[in-house]
Amino acid sequence: MNSPLRALFLTLGCAMATLAAVAADPSYTIAVIPKGTTHEFWKSIHAGAVKAEQELTGQGMKVRLFWKGPLREDDRDQQIQVVENFTARKVSGIVLAPLDSQALVAPVTSATQAGVPTVVIDSDLKSDKQISFVATDNFKGGQMAGEFLVKALGGKGNIILLRYQVGSASTEAREAGFLDALKKFPDLKLVSSDQHAGATRELGYQASQNLLNRYGKDVSGIFCPNETVTIAMTKALRDIGRAGGQVKIVGFDSGSQSVLDLKNGDVQALVVQDPVKMGYLGVMTLVQHLQGKPIEKRIDTGVSLVTKENMNEPDMAALLAPPIAKYLKE
Amino acid sequence: MPPRLTRLLQSGGPFLGLLLVCGLFALTEERQFIFTGGNFKNILTQTVIVAVGALGMTLIIVGGGIDLSVGSVVALTGVLGAKLLVAGWSPWTTAGALVAAGGAIGLFNGAIVAGFRMMPFIVTLGMMGVVRGAAKWLGDNQTINIPADSSAGRLMARVNPAEFWPLPPGVWILLALAVVMALLLRRTVFGRHVFAVGANETASRYSGVRVGLVKAATYGIAGLLFGFAGLLQMSRLTQGDPTVAVGLELDIIAAVVIGGASLSGGAGSISGSLIGALIMALLRNGTNQLGWQTYTQEIIIGVVIVFAVGLDKWRQSRLARS
Repeated sequence: MNSPLRALFLTLGCAMATLAAVAADPSYTIAVIPKGTTHEFWKSIHAGAVKAEQELTGQGMKVRLFWKGPLREDDRDQQIQVVENFTARKVSGIVLAPLDSQALVAPVTSATQAGVPTVVIDSDLKSDKQISFVATDNFKGGQMAGEFLVKALGGKGNIILLRYQVGSASTEAREAGFLDALKKFPDLKLVSSDQHAGATRELGYQASQNLLNRYGKDVSGIFCPNETVTIAMTKALRDIGRAGGQVKIVGFDSGSQSVLDLKNGDVQALVVQDPVKMGYLGVMTLVQHLQGKPIEKRIDTGVSLVTKENMNEPDMAALLAPPIAKYLKE
Repeated sequence: MPPRLTRLLQSGGPFLGLLLVCGLFALTEERQFIFTGGNFKNILTQTVIVAVGALGMTLIIVGGGIDLSVGSVVALTGVLGAKLLVAGWSPWTTAGALVAAGGAIGLFNGAIVAGFRMMPFIVTLGMMGVVRGAAKWLGDNQTINIPADSSAGRLMARVNPAEFWPLPPGVWILLALAVVMALLLRRTVFGRHVFAVGANETASRYSGVRVGLVKAATYGIAGLLFGFAGLLQMSRLTQGDPTVAVGLELDIIAAVVIGGASLSGGAGSISGSLIGALIMALLRNGTNQLGWQTYTQEIIIGVVIVFAVGLDKWRQSRLARS
């Protein structure tokens, strides 16, 4: 490094030190870092975070929210960079939905060392550095799906579980919960439970077609652990003419297509999470921690079972179509 | 124009660009966060993987070639490394194996390009798919975590994140490799031959340069560096991820081009490419902290690439006229 440059940095450094000393106001800057930014699910989380910001501002607090996903969606390295950059930015705290339970441990540890606390939302992190974990109880969601299917089938029939993807912690918990609920019913026969759909709708569609080609005539109930699998399986079932209630499908998460399938009677029930609440409680928990109040280590944001019958009740309608527009001016 | 100024302009173009970006961020209120030791450690750490790749890519581009398979090689070697560590290999032998694996893929690329006189764009485009597929195959479509206590995870770890010192080992290794590569390119017969082949292949052949051998060697040496980048990526994620680094090659090529290299071969420098990589990391870091939307970042980085190359063209035509 040559000397004029060093002089430049030194000058800048001095200027910064002065600025930092002057700008000591008690406001909170909070970075909310999702796994991606284009999915409806993350927009709902964003809406929840903005809802929290508005409430806190209403209480006379100064809160500034940064909403920033990884530059390339689903790229772990890019998400690590975002966490590092906000740590350097010296935000008051971070609300993070980690893309990977292992890869994000190091940056969260660094953030903690640098005095920036992290609340983890949506998916767990294999670390004890996060101050709280705010998420859906996915095991319970899977159990609810299983119990619904048991009741709908009268306790007997052939069942398919099409899994989502190897290594995805949230869907694996749902699958485990589902299998747990079926255990007590020996007349329910699990004809397939070891196939994985894969990440995209197209892969899920192919896997569904293949499974239905083998078991389509005998199957009476199906569980799909996320949105893409639900949509793909329903489409494949419609193709062979057994949709509309002949085969009962319980799906997970809501998207515009699966809600339509629910309304048309092709899907019997959807287990839905509450992402708005997740974003809201993520920010609220962080602020409570910053104010020195005690917080829970694990906060469950709840799951609900939506059927054609209850889908128009206000609570359920809000879960199926989160009030994103109310909070996000886009 | 006085010769000293000419030389400064020739070598200092990318450096002026870096100062310009620094200056722009210095005008914002976030400067108190951006210009800190801890954040510069941050930026350097984030630059390392692209920069190590850029060292190899500079060699290839100066020699008139291109390599699109870098991202896939990084993914494959990362997965391989995680598997070897899990299987109980020591971090040192694992590191050696990854560098060798990268070199082997590079040499293979180079042998096809040179041996069959095929377009490197096509050969490495094909290899991009082959290697990416192999990575997913090797990893069984999933990420493989390295043992938690493995020292291989410490290459990119930032101890004491709020201060500039100590820098992660990866940064020091990058600097050492950069010196080696700069000497190789500027001070050896091989380096001269790489420039000659890139500038005019036919003329080099007639003057007795063994063009095929030089080409194969550039891809092989670059491959060693790409394998090392894979090791760094694995260390940073503490896992081998077969889907990581999609599109990394484009970041690397952009860094080399911002650094003053010509895609038609025969021009480029190691220091320029390093600064190119630094400019991109700095832009990402700064716009992150300013809270700009992700899409604005993408647009800005794209504009900077075109602007940097345009500026370089203009500068060179001025120099040629004077």
